[in-house]
Amino acid sequence: MNRELLLEGVGRRYGLGRAAPWVLRGVDLTLAPGTLTRVEGANGTGKSTLLCLLAGIDAPTEGRITGRPRTAYVPERFPAALPFTAAGYLIHLGSIHGLSRAEAARAAVEWLERLGAAEYARTAMSELSKGTSQKVAVAQALLAEPELLVLDEAWSGLDRAARAELERAVLERTAVGGTVVFVDHDPRRLAGVPDATYAVVDGNLRAVTGSSAPRDSYVVVEVEGSAGVEPPAEATRLTVSVEEPGPGRLRLTVPETHSDTVLRTLLTTRPPWHVISVGEESAANGVLTSRSADTDAEVRS
Amino acid sequence: MTALRPLLRYQAALLLRSQRWLPPVILYAVFLAVGVQTGQPILDSLGYAAAAVLPVAAWFVRICATNEPPAARSCVGAAAGPVRAHLACLLTAFGAAALLGVVATVVVTVISDPTSTNHQTRLPILPAGGAGLVAALVCALLGTAVGALTTWPLLRSPGRAVPAMLLGAVLALVVTGSPARAAISDLVTGSQAGTVPAPLLPLIGAGATAAAAIAVACALTTRRG
Repeated sequence: MNRELLLEGVGRRYGLGRAAPWVLRGVDLTLAPGTLTRVEGANGTGKSTLLCLLAGIDAPTEGRITGRPRTAYVPERFPAALPFTAAGYLIHLGSIHGLSRAEAARAAVEWLERLGAAEYARTAMSELSKGTSQKVAVAQALLAEPELLVLDEAWSGLDRAARAELERAVLERTAVGGTVVFVDHDPRRLAGVPDATYAVVDGNLRAVTGSSAPRDSYVVVEVEGSAGVEPPAEATRLTVSVEEPGPGRLRLTVPETHSDTVLRTLLTTRPPWHVISVGEESAANGVLTSRSADTDAEVRS
Repeated sequence: MTALRPLLRYQAALLLRSQRWLPPVILYAVFLAVGVQTGQPILDSLGYAAAAVLPVAAWFVRICATNEPPAARSCVGAAAGPVRAHLACLLTAFGAAALLGVVATVVVTVISDPTSTNHQTRLPILPAGGAGLVAALVCALLGTAVGALTTWPLLRSPGRAVPAMLLGAVLALVVTGSPARAAISDLVTGSQAGTVPAPLLPLIGAGATAAAAIAVACALTTRRG
């Protein structure tokens, strides 16, 4: 089972000698399995340093970090200057992450497909566009299902579909008990979902409370399960509201970006939940349009 | 913890496909072609071939340590730990240098005259080749040590790293007490005396030096910057 990743009195400064300024100092942080954490801060405040420490790429000058599980990291700009094909690189990285070569090859194809870059599998990395390179960087991190995923502006350079896919992948990781930490310049990125948001201020972390930017749209999912059975926590933590219109019946309002994850979780739970209907709700005017998935579905007000 | 094998395979593929190994290998071949001729005394030629492995090993380390863009290195570092990633990089460079040394030793052993310097005493060919192999390994180990201490993460700017590497390689060959110098002197004096040496003490010294240098370089992967 995963342990907590624990930072105790962590400080980091670069350069030798006592004159070197501290980039981070006295940072205490606990990242529990299954949580999503956002890190904010202006440029040059030490966000990237913090992520490097979390990913284990860098060691703290003082303090200690314990309980790091299997880790993967996605950098902001991934260079194409590697003498491999996209699939060749991913197979190497997959085996470094601990997969067998056959597993790595399968996972490479799967993730390139999910990110919409399947046709570039056999393309030399040096010929990839910036966006496709970034997809390869995302794929190398996700293909081995890491227990800790560290994303440093991983969305930048991705197209809209791949951005959404990465959001879904993040939610999937947390749903199965993985820990995810991310930095992103877009305040709407995964808005409302993180379990905690921290800002790096003056070399330390400050918890940010209150929700960030409002969501654009929501999906209303109506499901039916055995009476008295609680819905899986991985699904409910992504919802903004849960109503109970009838016995064994639940109406979940879910941010549109997370609806796939919620549905997947509900359908794969044992015993599975029966999906009655999936509808859209616009946050702005509250109008609900419903696409019936079952003749039993009732028209809602 | 990831096994070292996939890391070594990745580093070896990086080195091989980058084609940056070509210049040192070509230079080494030219150096051998100029200095070693058919029918020359075996131990002298083996000493010459071994000595030239040292700068080549240091060069290989530099190639391996700078082959990966920093962002790619971070991805591997997160997955396997930067210490193991760098260890694999240094071992790959050493392996490449050792391989080159073995090939050169075999070639030189085959084409040389198995006699002492004055061609008066016959020498057993296999023990002589073995002594040359040990000397080549000593030089590959010391060259790896020099390379590890004169590239990332210790020295980052090429302006300082390259002269430091060259100076280090020359010093490792000429300074009294250096295992490389001891191994090569063993071969040269053995050739003059008509006996085959067994430069095992230099091998132990070079192994210890390389291990220490690799440990320092790996430990600094997460500390400098």
